[in-house]
Amino acid sequence: METTDINLFVRTSEETISDWNKEKIVNALIRETLIDEETAHQISIEVEQTIRNAGVKMVTAPLIREIVNAKLIERGLETARKMHTRLGMPIYDVDSLILHPNKENANVPHGPEATNLTLAERIKKEYALLAVFSQDVADAHMNGDIHLHDLGFIDRPYCSGQSLEYIKRFGLNFPHSLSMAKPAKHPEVLLAHLVKFAAALQSNFAGAIGWDAVNIFFAPYLEGMSDNDVKQLAQMLIFEFSQQAVARGGQAIFSDINLYWEVPKHFENTPAIGPGGIYTGRTYGEYEKEAQRFAWKLFEVYKEGDGAGRPFFFPKPIVHITEKFFKTEGWQDFLYHICDVASDKGNTYFVFDRGETAKISECCRLSFKLEERDLKDAKEPWKMRYCALQNVSLNLPRIAYLAKGDDTRLFNLLTERFILAIRAHKEKRAFLEKLLALGENGPLSLLTMKQDDMPYLRFDLATHLIGMVGLNEMVQVHLGEELHESNRAMKFGLKVISHLNLLAHKIRESEKFRVVLEQTPAESTSYRFARLDLRYFSPLSGRIVKGEIASGEIYYTNSTHLNVRAPMNPIERVTNEGKFHPLIEAGSISHIWLGEAHPTKEAIADFVIKTFRYTTNDQIAFSPEFTTCNRCHKTSRGLSDTCSYCGSKDVDGITRITGYFTKISSWNKGKLGELKDRYRNEHYFGQERQIING
Amino acid sequence: MNTVKIFYKDDCPMCPMAKRLKDSLLEKQIHVSVYNVGTSDGLAEATFYGVKALPTIIIEDKNEKELFSWRGVVPTTEEVINVVKG
Repeated sequence: METTDINLFVRTSEETISDWNKEKIVNALIRETLIDEETAHQISIEVEQTIRNAGVKMVTAPLIREIVNAKLIERGLETARKMHTRLGMPIYDVDSLILHPNKENANVPHGPEATNLTLAERIKKEYALLAVFSQDVADAHMNGDIHLHDLGFIDRPYCSGQSLEYIKRFGLNFPHSLSMAKPAKHPEVLLAHLVKFAAALQSNFAGAIGWDAVNIFFAPYLEGMSDNDVKQLAQMLIFEFSQQAVARGGQAIFSDINLYWEVPKHFENTPAIGPGGIYTGRTYGEYEKEAQRFAWKLFEVYKEGDGAGRPFFFPKPIVHITEKFFKTEGWQDFLYHICDVASDKGNTYFVFDRGETAKISECCRLSFKLEERDLKDAKEPWKMRYCALQNVSLNLPRIAYLAKGDDTRLFNLLTERFILAIRAHKEKRAFLEKLLALGENGPLSLLTMKQDDMPYLRFDLATHLIGMVGLNEMVQVHLGEELHESNRAMKFGLKVISHLNLLAHKIRESEKFRVVLEQTPAESTSYRFARLDLRYFSPLSGRIVKGEIASGEIYYTNSTHLNVRAPMNPIERVTNEGKFHPLIEAGSISHIWLGEAHPTKEAIADFVIKTFRYTTNDQIAFSPEFTTCNRCHKTSRGLSDTCSYCGSKDVDGITRITGYFTKISSWNKGKLGELKDRYRNEHYFGQERQIING
Repeated sequence: MNTVKIFYKDDCPMCPMAKRLKDSLLEKQIHVSVYNVGTSDGLAEATFYGVKALPTIIIEDKNEKELFSWRGVVPTTEEVINVVKG
């Protein structure tokens, strides 16, 4: 190996100090790029000269690499430069990360584990934009035409829906794990398996882990248990999921539990699996009472809240309201019970499965409608595991700025962006296929394990999500009216979403993979798009973005929602927002911000029934606000700067950010702007309302 | 003036009957708007009115308030005219 007489040391990335050796530059260029040896050699000489001229005695490997990159740029070798580039962060940014909390995702706490998570995410994000996605797609993300969600988790699918039946049947038996557990024989063990499996899945998916029909699948384990013991089990389940620092980056597992009062038709005749993974000889339809008992106790725990009386942030309880619900004995008492929790703590999500539709819900609002094949799988429910590979959101207001009032241009641009999003999906899909092809020796070994006759991740059933941000502002730019201001604006908004819906159907036919629209939660995306458009499309965008420009607390309205600030009767909001829901197949939600209002359970129940019967809304949630004191650990209703019990100023506000509760101190500026604007329905629920019938 | 809106799809079995209804109403000088739910305009309008079955025939007043509808069935020309003319 050739060395020079240069008196220089190099601090390498292997934590050593080496002598200068320019051959290492040549070797790296040959290994990592496609340039010829002669060019590589010439560059190494030039780099050596540059360093020699600087007169330094010590250089770092990253610095040498950057000087080499500069030489590649000078020669116009941009492709080689990209292949040779280094991923990393400035020391200033790392310092700042270690010291200050991450505000991109309010579910990430602040601590060493969280810092690790954020650092890894930053590197993987850069990697994704350089090595996974094509330049067009990456550039479109960077400039804010589209948003590629969870880039920091590029090497995993996006989110998923799971079945407890898998654990009941196969126990815990992960590839490369130190021990395996046979199917649980006791309810507490099943619960432990559930939480451990959820944590393992969190390490293999970017986002939410949803669990289907949890109370029904637990039911065979509950026979013979006293009410107190069932309550204790419910308490354990909720606390296990809600307490942080159990898994990835100190994050609580973003988890949903789907609950039913009735046993849904598709599980009625399904053979039940009991302790030890053995069929009990009965069907789930025969366990209705036990399932109901567990659901009831879970909501008793939600009603009590945590040790400080705060609402539990996770797991999110999603109750399916169906036609059968209203025909099942005790429905009214249960509805009051869950409405009491909705009013008091806000936890309950009401999902409406109208007609013959059956759904499994996960993530902030993502849900899957069960199709014929899924309903067949319902006879062997451990097969019912689903995922979305990626979510790509479109910046709708930007399309309107560019269209300048021209309808044809607007719809052409919408199609262009949609096709770009599909390209992004194909690129991510190809990358994940590569990882999964490595099987049990690859990074996604858990998703390739085959306990039944297929890999755990059912890739052929995966969905690809297209989200949208700021339909309200798009319509405002294009027509001069917001969605709630006229039928004309509403119909134009519906036309935009119809256009996307029809494109999704066409792509499904041509590409042979499932593409569906989703209401993007857009916790940080609505802020990011608004900021970028303020930069590129002022002064017009300055009149369009919501929030307060002076403080930087700006945002676009989420997905297809109506302006959160517009004062309107909540039933009107739920009705009009619900008009979009049939077009958005992967799930939607309407939020009813309660503020300090504390409606009666009857008023909430009446509202829920009306929404089910008279609207096409897919899902609603009621969001109260709380102030919790870090000194006396008491929690009061409403947002306040001081504790109403002890007067301390050391308080945290709590309410729903998008699809989950969290502390307001962790919110990004866009969400803070939205919080100030939210129209609280404090008067509507003031009156007593009675249920007449279901 | 009350108007008639007819929603259809290219491949729905009963939709040809709805198209014949449209022709018949036009012959009688009744204003009819036709929406194909396979297009963005048609799907948007159908979603606005909560159309779930095809064909659907809706009669509305000048303020776009629904007066009557037939969802998944096709009425006779006379039935429609009776509602249109009040």
